[in-house]
Amino acid sequence: MKRNEFKSLNRREWIRASGRGVGQIALASMLAQSDGLRGIGAGSSDPLSARAGHHGASADRIIFIYSTGGVSHVDTWDYKPKLYQDHGKKVTASRWLNKPGAFDRYLIKPRWTFSQYGQSGTWVSDLFPKLATRVDDLCVFNAMHCESDGHDKGTLAAHTGSAQFARPSHGAWVSYGLGTVNENLPSFVVLAPHAPYAGAQTWGSDFLPGCHQGTHVIPGDEPLEHLKPRASSPAQQSLELELLGKFNTKSVESSPLDPMLEARMRSFQTAFGMQRQAPEAFDLSTESESTLKMYGLEAGQTKGFGWQCLVARRLAERGVRFIELIDTGSNSGENWDSHGNMQDHERLAKMIDQPICGLLSDLKARGMLERTLVVWTTEFGRTPFHQTADHPGREHHNLVFSSWMAGGGVRGGVVHGKSDEYGIEVDEGGVHTHDLHATMLHCVGLDHERLTYRHAGRDYRLTDVSGRVVREVLG
Amino acid sequence: MCDLFCRFFRALCCLVPLVVGGLSPIAKGQETPSDFFEARIRPILVDHCEICHSLSTQKSSGGLVLDSADGWKTGGDSGPAIVPGNPKESLLIRAVRRDQGHSPMPPADSGLSLTESQIRDLEAWVLQGAFDPRKSAERIGGMRAEEVRSWWSFQPLGSHEPPEVVHDRWVWNPIDRFVVAGLEAQGLEPVSTASKREWIRRVTLDLTGLVPTPEQIQEYLADESPQADARLVDRLLESYEHAERYGRHWLDVARYSDTAGDGADYPVREAYRYRDWVIRSIHRNKPWDQFVREQIAGDLFAKDLAGSSDAADAPVRLETYADLVTATGFLAVGKRYGYAPNADFQHLDFADAIDSIGRSFLGLSIGCARCHDHKYDPITVQDYYALYGIMQSTLWAFPGGEEQKRPANFPALVPPEQVAQLERGRTDRLRSIDEGIERARAERMELDPSYHAGGIDLDLEAQEVGKPPTKAWLSAGPNVVSSESQSPYSHVFGQGTRGVRVGAGTPFEGVRYVLDRKLTLTDRPLYFAIDFRVPESTQGSCRLYLGRGVIESTALECSISKDAFAIKNAGEWKVVSALEVGKWYHLQLKLDPSDMTWSGGLYGDEFEASISKTPVSATWDRQADTFICDGFGHIGDGVLARDLDNLGIHTEPFGAFGSPALERPSRSPASQERFASLDKQVKELQAQRAAIAAEVLYGVAYGVSEAKPTDARIQLRGEPSKTSDEVPRRFLSVLGGQVVPRDHAESGRRELAYWLSDPKNPLAARVFVNRVWHWHFGQGLVPTTSDFGVRGQAPSHPELLDYLAQRFIESGWDVRQLHRWIVLSRTYHLTSHVDAQEDTDRVSKGRQLDPSNRWLWRSVKRPMDAETLRDSILSVSGLLDRGVPKEHPFPSVDTWAFTIHNPFHAVYDSAHRSVYLMQQRNRKHPYLGLFDGADPNLSVDQRQATTTPTQTLYLMNSPLVHQASESLSKRCIRTTLDVTARLQLVYEITLGRPASQEEQAQCLEFLEAYAQRESSDGELKAWGALCRVLMTSNSFLYID
Repeated sequence: MKRNEFKSLNRREWIRASGRGVGQIALASMLAQSDGLRGIGAGSSDPLSARAGHHGASADRIIFIYSTGGVSHVDTWDYKPKLYQDHGKKVTASRWLNKPGAFDRYLIKPRWTFSQYGQSGTWVSDLFPKLATRVDDLCVFNAMHCESDGHDKGTLAAHTGSAQFARPSHGAWVSYGLGTVNENLPSFVVLAPHAPYAGAQTWGSDFLPGCHQGTHVIPGDEPLEHLKPRASSPAQQSLELELLGKFNTKSVESSPLDPMLEARMRSFQTAFGMQRQAPEAFDLSTESESTLKMYGLEAGQTKGFGWQCLVARRLAERGVRFIELIDTGSNSGENWDSHGNMQDHERLAKMIDQPICGLLSDLKARGMLERTLVVWTTEFGRTPFHQTADHPGREHHNLVFSSWMAGGGVRGGVVHGKSDEYGIEVDEGGVHTHDLHATMLHCVGLDHERLTYRHAGRDYRLTDVSGRVVREVLG
Repeated sequence: MCDLFCRFFRALCCLVPLVVGGLSPIAKGQETPSDFFEARIRPILVDHCEICHSLSTQKSSGGLVLDSADGWKTGGDSGPAIVPGNPKESLLIRAVRRDQGHSPMPPADSGLSLTESQIRDLEAWVLQGAFDPRKSAERIGGMRAEEVRSWWSFQPLGSHEPPEVVHDRWVWNPIDRFVVAGLEAQGLEPVSTASKREWIRRVTLDLTGLVPTPEQIQEYLADESPQADARLVDRLLESYEHAERYGRHWLDVARYSDTAGDGADYPVREAYRYRDWVIRSIHRNKPWDQFVREQIAGDLFAKDLAGSSDAADAPVRLETYADLVTATGFLAVGKRYGYAPNADFQHLDFADAIDSIGRSFLGLSIGCARCHDHKYDPITVQDYYALYGIMQSTLWAFPGGEEQKRPANFPALVPPEQVAQLERGRTDRLRSIDEGIERARAERMELDPSYHAGGIDLDLEAQEVGKPPTKAWLSAGPNVVSSESQSPYSHVFGQGTRGVRVGAGTPFEGVRYVLDRKLTLTDRPLYFAIDFRVPESTQGSCRLYLGRGVIESTALECSISKDAFAIKNAGEWKVVSALEVGKWYHLQLKLDPSDMTWSGGLYGDEFEASISKTPVSATWDRQADTFICDGFGHIGDGVLARDLDNLGIHTEPFGAFGSPALERPSRSPASQERFASLDKQVKELQAQRAAIAAEVLYGVAYGVSEAKPTDARIQLRGEPSKTSDEVPRRFLSVLGGQVVPRDHAESGRRELAYWLSDPKNPLAARVFVNRVWHWHFGQGLVPTTSDFGVRGQAPSHPELLDYLAQRFIESGWDVRQLHRWIVLSRTYHLTSHVDAQEDTDRVSKGRQLDPSNRWLWRSVKRPMDAETLRDSILSVSGLLDRGVPKEHPFPSVDTWAFTIHNPFHAVYDSAHRSVYLMQQRNRKHPYLGLFDGADPNLSVDQRQATTTPTQTLYLMNSPLVHQASESLSKRCIRTTLDVTARLQLVYEITLGRPASQEEQAQCLEFLEAYAQRESSDGELKAWGALCRVLMTSNSFLYID
C-alpha cells in the first residue's frame, strides 16, 4: 500500500476538511510547541501525531501474531531428521522445568512429517499445510531463544522486553515512536478473544503516555467499548457536540497556554469519527465472498482467528500502526501448552493455518505486504525430550525455538539460524527476543537504541540494554 | 557509538610498538615490577580492557572493572579476576588465553586482539605477583566522593530567611518572597490573582478531589472577612474528603493494590485496612515522621504498646495496636512474585520493597543497586544488601499463590497472648469434636461388614457387575467390575465374587481409592496388599501408587507389564521379578518407620519373589490415604489392561499368603439403624468442625512481622544463587551508614524507620515537602519528585525547598500546617485565566522565558485525574455514596484456586469514592486504566495525563456519564420550574458559576431544539443532554 493512500485520512487533511477554524489554528500552534521530556515525541504536544522515525522505514506498520502457550519448534518449523532416527535415545539435558543441571531424558520424535515447500525449499511440518504454500514470503528464525520458561514471564519478555518488571509493550513503543496516521482509530490494537498470560500488561503502555497503550478488541458483536452513541439519534448527538464545541472553543481561546484543552476538544471530533469509522473497520459485510473464503470465514461471522486476521488487514489499510493478534488465552487446556498430549497442536494449528495464509495472500495481492511487517512468535518452544520415553507431551523449552517474519523489508524464503541436531540448543545464528524487537523496530524506521523514554531517573528502551538488528534477513 | 569506534581505532594504533616485546620479559632482570607494569601492562589494560571494564567510562561489563588494583581484586560476577602468582587460576589469563569455558577476551566482535607476546607479558606479570600501583578513585556507587559531598540533595538543610524583594507589597506570606525573588531575577511578572470563585473551585478540588457545592461557594463568597480563605482551608483540611484525596496521593506512591500481582493475581482481602489506615492517619493529621515510621515498623511499636499495662486505656490501646500492625501494609502491599510462602522468589519481593522505600521516602532509586553499584547515584551494591538483610529478617504476609492457594503469615491485629488464648480455645473445641468423630467412625467400622483391611469395599464386593466401580472407588477410562476379575486368593478377604478389569485407556486413566482418613507412618508400620493379573499379552505397563493425595506425596510406586514387575527406587524403575500373562499374583508390602523402607513379597501359584528393603520416596511426608492404578508404569509403550482385586491398606498386618480364608461378619437390622445414625452424627460433627475452623477469632493485617534476624549476602548480578560477601544490616552509607547493633534481637526495621524520618536525614523532609508542593501545583520545586539523585532535576527554588523543609520539621512534621502555608500563599492564588490580549506584555514574556512555568508566574490548568473526574461527576449528580465501604466482595477464600492459567479477575460496581474501587495489580480497572490511574506495579509519583479519543468515547457514551447527567437533570427540574433559574442552578452545581448572558442564550436555544426532536420526554432529555455537555466540557474537566 502506498503512503498517499492514507492521504484522505491524514489528520491535518481531515481537520482542514472539517473546516473547524479554531482546531486548525490552535493545532498549528500546538505542533510548533515542544515538550522537552518526550525524546522522539518532541515537536508536538500531541503524542499521537504521525512522525518519521530515525531512519528510512521498510514497513509502515506491524501485524504481530502471537500463539499463546509455547509452540513446539521441532513439530512445526525446525526440521530435525535425527530426532526421528534417535527417538527414545537418552540425552543429557542441561535444563529441566526451569532448573539448570544434568538430566537424563529421552528424545521424542515429532508425530508429524516435514516436507520442503516453495522455491526456497523451506521445511514445514504437516501442521501448517496452507501456510507452507507461502514459505517464499517467510523468513523463519530457527534459533530464537529467551531466558524465561514460565508462561507469564515468557509472554511479558516477548511483548515488553522484560520478564520481571512491568514495562511498555512493543506496540506502545512503536506508537510512541511513530504516532498514528489515522486518529479515528487507536494506534495500537490488540485483537484477542482472551488475555494471554500476564493479562493486559502485554499491551500496556506502563510509563509511556496512556494513549499508546493497546486497545483490546474482543472479537464479537461489540469489539470496542462505548462506541455506540447513547443519544437518541446522531442528529441529537451532533447538537450536543455543537454546543460543547461552542463552550470549548471559548475555553481554548481563553487558555492559549494550556494546549491540553485544545487536545481534548479535538478528541471529541476524533471520538465522533471513531463512532462511525471503527464499526466500519470491524464490519466485514463489504468483503467479497472470495476474500472471506481466503480467511476461512463464513459470511456474518464476528469471531474466530480468521475474523481477527481479516480485521487486521482492514485496520492496516486504515492506518493502524501496530496490530496484534492473539490466538488463545491463558487457559492451558485451550492454548498451545501441550504438556499432556502434543496431539493438541493439530487443533491449534488448524485454527490459525488458513487465516494466516489468507492474511499473507491478501496483503500480497493488495500490494500491502511490502510495507507491512508480519511477525509470528510464541513465548518459547517445547522440549524435544521428556522424562519418560514415549511421553505424549512436551515441556517448556526456552533454549531454542522458532518464529517467523514476512513482508515489511524482510527477505522471504529465508531460514535464519540453526539449532543443534535435536533442536535442544542454538547452534548458530541465535536470535534473542531483544533481537527480534530490535529488528521489528528497525523495519519501521526506529533505532532501538535511540527509542528511549526517561522514566524514574533513567532512559528506558524496549530492548533494555541489549538487542541486535538481524540485518542478514533484511532485503 | 562513534566515540567507541574511535577508541577502538586508537587502541589498534597503539598495538604496533608493543609487539616488539621479548619472550621472557622478566628474564631481563634489570626491570623493576613498577617499570614492567608501566611499560607493558598498563598499556594493555588501558587499550584493550578498560573500554568495557572501567569506572571512568561508566562501564563494568560482567561487573568487572580493571582500572584499579581493587577492581580486579574484587572482581566481577565470576569472582576475582587475578590470583597473584598463579596465572593458571587467574580468570583474566584464562579469558585472554581463550580457554574453554571462559568468555574469550577481548571479545571477537570488539575488533581488538592481543598478541602472543602481550599475553605472555600478562602471564609473567601475574606470576610475579601482579604488582599494580593504581588506586581506585574514591567512589560511592556511581559518584566520586567529592561529587557526593557537593551534591545538593545530600547537603544538610540550609537555614534561609525569606529574601527581601522589590515587590514587597505583593507578598502574602514567606513562600511568596522566595517566588517573587525568583521572578524578579528572571525578569518575570506574576499574572493577576484568581477571583474568589476560581480559587474556591481550585482549592476545593485540590484538597478534597470534589467540586464545591453551590452552598459552599455561597458561604465563602459571603464571608468578607480577611480570614475567609483560612477558614475555608481549615474546613477543607479537616474534612474526611481531604483525607481520602490525599490518601489516594500517598497510595500512588505506596503502589497500593487490592491484589498480589503474581501471575495468578491473588486477591488480598485485608489490603483495604492499610488503605483505610492511610486515610485515617491523614484525617488525624498524624505527624509525618510518625506516619513514615509506623509504615516501616508499626508492628514493633505495637509490641512496645502491648507491654505497657495501664488497664485504664486498654480499649484505645487495642485499637492503636491494630492500627500499628496495619501500617506495615506499606511493605507488604507491593508487587509479589512468589507462588508459595517460601524464599524462592522473595528476592524479587524485596527488590520491590527496597526500591519503593527508596523512591517513596528518600527520592532515590536504590533498586538500581541490586545487580551492580548504582550507575549514577552514590548507592552501592553493599547498601542494597544491607537493606536486604533487614527485609530478610522480616516475616512477610503471603497473599496466596499458584502453589499455595491460601494466605499465610498475616500478622494478627491483637497481641500474641490474646491470639494464643483465642487459638487455644479453638483447638480445645476442635479436639473434642475430633474425638467425637473418631469415636463414631470407629463404631461405624465395627458395624460395617464391608469395612475390612483398612477401608470400605476394598474387595469390590459391593460394586455392581458390568459397571465401572463407584463410590469409595473412583474410575476413569474403560474399567468394568466383573466376575472374571475375581482373585482366587482368599487369605485377606475371604472368597469373593468380583474384581475390576482396568481397561487399556490413556495413561491418565485408571482407578483410585481414597481412604476416609489419612494413615500416618509414625512408630507403627503400614501394610499394603493387592491381587492383580495381566489377562492378555499386551504392550505397555501400569503403575501402582500409594501415597497422600493424587501424586501429591508419593510413598511407593510399583509397575506391572505382561512379563515384568518393577519397583521405583530413588526415581528410577527397576525390574525385580518376572510375571506371566494370565496368572494371579498377590503383592504384600510392609512400610517400616524404623528405617523408612518398604519390603515384602510377590506371591502366586507355585511362585514367590521377595522384594528387599527399598527406601520410601524421599519426598514422602509419611502420610498415605490414596491408592492409584494408572498408566504411568515402567514402560511407556502404551497401557495394558489388568485385573485388580482385594486391596488392603492397613495399620495391622494381613494374613500370610496361603493362610486360611477369612470369615466375613454379616450385617444385622439393628446395626443398620445404628449405622445410619452414626453417619448422621459424623456429618453433623464435621459441619461443626468446619464452622469452628473457619471462625474469625481476630482480624489480621496484610503486613509484616519479625523473622529471625540475619545479615544478607551480596547476590552477584542480583541472582540469589550466586552469593558473595555478607553485609551487616545498615542504612545507606551516603546518608550516614548507621548500623543495626550486632546481636540485636530485631530485624532492624525499627532503626530503619528512625533513619528514614530523622530530621538530620537531608532527604526525609525535602522529598516530602516537595511532593506536597507537586500535589498542589502539578509540578514540584524538584520536578522529578521521586528522584533526588543525579538523574533527577535540580530544584528551581532550593532555598524555598529548604525553608519549607526546615519549618515543617520545626512544626513537628505538621502536614496540615504545610498545606496551609502553601495554599494560602499568593503564589497559589494566581489565576489560570491568562488573557493573552489584555496582558500581552507579561504573558508574552512569561511564554518566552518560562513556558513550563517553573518560576510560577501563573497557574496552570490541570485535567481532573481519574478519581477526581469520577467522584465529581457522581457528586454533582447526587449519585455519590460518601460513606466508607466495607471490604471488597471477593470470592470466599475456600474457593480460591487461581493460577496463571486462571488468574483472579473482577470489577466491582461501586457508588463510593474512587479511592475505594477494587484495583488489581495485573489488570487495570477499566475506568481507572482509561483515565491514567496509577499503575500499582511501581511506586507512582506523578500521574501521566493523556488525552485520548477512547477516553472521550467514555465521556460521550458511557453509562456512568449518562446516568449522572439524567440524575442531575431530574434534580434540577424538581427544584425549580423557572427555566432561567434552573439553568443557573445547573451552572452553579457543575461549573461553580452563573451562566453568562451568551451562554444562557446558547443553552436555551439548544434546549428547545433538542426537546423538539424528541418524541417523548423532550424536556427531560434535553436537560439531560445539557447536563452532559456541561459535565464533559473543558470548564468542568480542567481545574482552573
